[in-house]
Amino acid sequence: MKLCVAAALALALVGPLWSHQAAASALPGADRVASRTLANGMEVVVWPDADIPNVAMYTWYRVGSRNERPGITGISHFFEHMMFNGTKTRPPGEFDRVMEANGGRNNAYTSSDVTVYQNWFPRTALELIFDLEADRMRNLDFDPKVVESERGVVYSERRSSVDNDNFGVLIEQMQASAYVAHPYQIPTIGWPSDIEGWKIEDLQAFYEQYYAPNNAVMFVVGDVTPEEVFALAGRYLAGIPAQPAPEPVTTREPPQLGERRLRIEREGQTPLLAMAWHAAAAPDRESRVLEVTLSILGDGDSSRLHQRLVERERAAIQVGTALDQGFDPGLAWVYAVVPPGGDPARTERLIDEELARLATDGPTPAELTKARNQALAGFWRGLETISGKAQALGEYQVFHGDYRKLFDAPAVYEGITGDDVKAAVANILRSGNRTVGTLVPVTSEQTPVATQAGAK
Amino acid sequence: MRRLLVLAAAVTGASCLAGGPARADTPGAVRLPAFEQLTLDNGARIALMEKHDTPLIAVTAVIRGGALGDPPGREGSAALLAELLQKGAGARDAAAFAEALESVGAELSITAGTESLVIGASFLSKDSELVLGLLADALQRPRLEAAEFDKVRTRSVQSIAAAKDSDPRALIGEYGDAWLFGAHPYGRAVGGSEESLAAIGTDDVRSYLEQQLGGDRLILAVVGDFSAAEMRRRLADAFGSWRKAGAASPAVPAPPASKGRRVLLVDKPGATQTYFWLGNVGASRLDPARHAQSLVNTVFGGRFTSMLNTELRIKSGLTYGARSGFERLSEPGSFQIVSYTQTETTVDAIDLALATLDRLHDDGLAADALASARSYMLGQFPPTLETNGQLASRLADLMLYGLGPEDVNQYAERVLAVDRAAASSAIETAFPKSSDLAVVLIGDAAKIRDAVAKYGPVTEMKITDPRFAPGRPKG
Repeated sequence: MKLCVAAALALALVGPLWSHQAAASALPGADRVASRTLANGMEVVVWPDADIPNVAMYTWYRVGSRNERPGITGISHFFEHMMFNGTKTRPPGEFDRVMEANGGRNNAYTSSDVTVYQNWFPRTALELIFDLEADRMRNLDFDPKVVESERGVVYSERRSSVDNDNFGVLIEQMQASAYVAHPYQIPTIGWPSDIEGWKIEDLQAFYEQYYAPNNAVMFVVGDVTPEEVFALAGRYLAGIPAQPAPEPVTTREPPQLGERRLRIEREGQTPLLAMAWHAAAAPDRESRVLEVTLSILGDGDSSRLHQRLVERERAAIQVGTALDQGFDPGLAWVYAVVPPGGDPARTERLIDEELARLATDGPTPAELTKARNQALAGFWRGLETISGKAQALGEYQVFHGDYRKLFDAPAVYEGITGDDVKAAVANILRSGNRTVGTLVPVTSEQTPVATQAGAK
Repeated sequence: MRRLLVLAAAVTGASCLAGGPARADTPGAVRLPAFEQLTLDNGARIALMEKHDTPLIAVTAVIRGGALGDPPGREGSAALLAELLQKGAGARDAAAFAEALESVGAELSITAGTESLVIGASFLSKDSELVLGLLADALQRPRLEAAEFDKVRTRSVQSIAAAKDSDPRALIGEYGDAWLFGAHPYGRAVGGSEESLAAIGTDDVRSYLEQQLGGDRLILAVVGDFSAAEMRRRLADAFGSWRKAGAASPAVPAPPASKGRRVLLVDKPGATQTYFWLGNVGASRLDPARHAQSLVNTVFGGRFTSMLNTELRIKSGLTYGARSGFERLSEPGSFQIVSYTQTETTVDAIDLALATLDRLHDDGLAADALASARSYMLGQFPPTLETNGQLASRLADLMLYGLGPEDVNQYAERVLAVDRAAASSAIETAFPKSSDLAVVLIGDAAKIRDAVAKYGPVTEMKITDPRFAPGRPKG
């Protein structure tokens, strides 16, 4: 629980695409979505869906590791943990105990851009959950003993997702190398010395600046009516005072001046290879074009990279793609697991050949149609659950500025052409704009001491 | 559209099994929407549930057998076959098969489980003829080409090596089952080991197909946006003439509980954390006390505020997570406690897990814990029946284990009926004593081997050993 998605970000599937067949009119219940902005600036969006007698409540705060600096890296994610650990009115642990005793479950995740708190509960607990969520937005408290104990929890999380996972290590190192200026270089889980170093004052300052109603959006999806949700929002949330707008992130990553390469040596059997290109921000049209491009390259067994690398050349056990999508330009990823004993340089050469071929010839019409159909089916699957609906609304409201764009994005995708894909490969997926990382397995006798990060 | 509406289904030759009010007042008191069941002439059993709120259809099929049908020493045969079924079938080679599926955005997975092969498919309703045709080809007309077999087998071996370089949480259950069950078939690695996969040939896979797959073994559930009348015809065409399986489905005796404590230490040099798995034989899918067992497990290790997570995470910060659970099969599978902690606190964390298990046996459940767990189980039940895929899997599960819709419809009342006496009895019968545990540790052996000797006799192996059990596989 309380997952950190730092490493997982890069391994996530390419986000949803749409086709004109998924127009808003075809979406059952889309016309029932209602939203309201409270006087303190907090936005509340409701999607009534009585399919099951349950509710998904997602509260998004516009803060993540992008808002951090050296010394407090990882504090957004640590703060996420502390949001479950006591308020001035409820002792540590009561939030979870009360929620579970009333049939609810919760989790949360932190990314470079946002921190999202998820509650899933029977509709009978609706008012109680509003009370709990409002209480921690207004009254959070920091018990020094709990802060120390939670430090150990987060360190353990880091050991599992990064330090004892070779892919986790590679992705973290590449993220840190791909950016020279922008705080996307910061790992969301935090560097070990910062995990050891946060102070309570850091947490308090963080709470005041970022955990304000005007920096949050709440999505309530399920067996509810907008009227009852807005009434509860008025009762529990509207009285929380607004704060000055958080300090904006103004640093822009300067253009990359040439390919960067890194080589990591770790205990293991399997070489890994990944490439990361500077791409676009979530709402940019270029991100839609890259979704289609990466889908053609790596989505499914019939994709270009799978067919060439995994099936024909046996230069990879697995190949995939991912696209970061946040407030600022993120990274487009291609990664491959190389067979034990295999040569990552050969795998890299083959990927380069496929990129060159796509840049020269563009995709076939059938590939464009396939990418669109995969996206359409994925779109429907994503909206099958109340959780999926809450997540999708959140992505559009927070990153694209309006949840309604979830329903009319089809028009954007419809216009994407083969020439767009060709241009994206040529302009973005080019060697001078990328960081290439290889993880080379070594046996324990060869492992340099310096790579044993994380041990106290 | 409301999920829990009643669909009138009255079909000659089919049994109409369910139906009921939209929802009751008790959270979790949901009813399985109506569905119809039919049996084809060859014995294939089918369940159909119409649901029209999205233009999607989900299929779940199960074929009894799974890894239990693997020849000894060739563990992973069913898993390789499952993979190979998708690598060319009917008129299509592997590439054309993948292209046909993906070009319409469909998803198909065929995987082996311990006691069944599990097939899942999801597609837009307009593509049902194509996808059901592909599924019928994969099951009845797979090509099993030697070149594809070689690739699939090689990749399976390499993927195990890759997994050993990754988060140990993904593999510790394989070591756990092997160490707990030993020669009993429940101890087999479903995906095989690097060693057993190397021993498998195309003949083994072909023989598995002939012996263990067939229309009489097929259980298939379809949920989503279709007309039942048309779907019945389509499925009869696609699967009605499939031959029967050549052999009887494999059955196994109940595994004996493990007595005493013994430790398997899997050396992962350089690991900064020790991952541990403590297990014994638990309970079966059909155990009449399963609701009481699940309720106790909810309190003990099944949710965030559980006793285990409270002790090992919330109060002490020793770990990111500690949990417990049952692997329920036709016979009792494993009950296991799983967690991890930094190398230096290995003994602290394991001691605390054992003490927490002792406390469960000594103190039982407090009244407030019982009430809280009931609410939690009921509140979290409806989201398990939300999607087409979840409903299809549930229907297939009910058919596989011979259960009726009351397994869903009476869930709430059965959970509410669990009292302290039932909970105490569940603790006594399904939860092992801390003195009777198979213990698996993955970590840096040089740093922990001496300290963990206090838990029992230690057997050591390397994570790079090409198998999940120490020494030669039994068999």
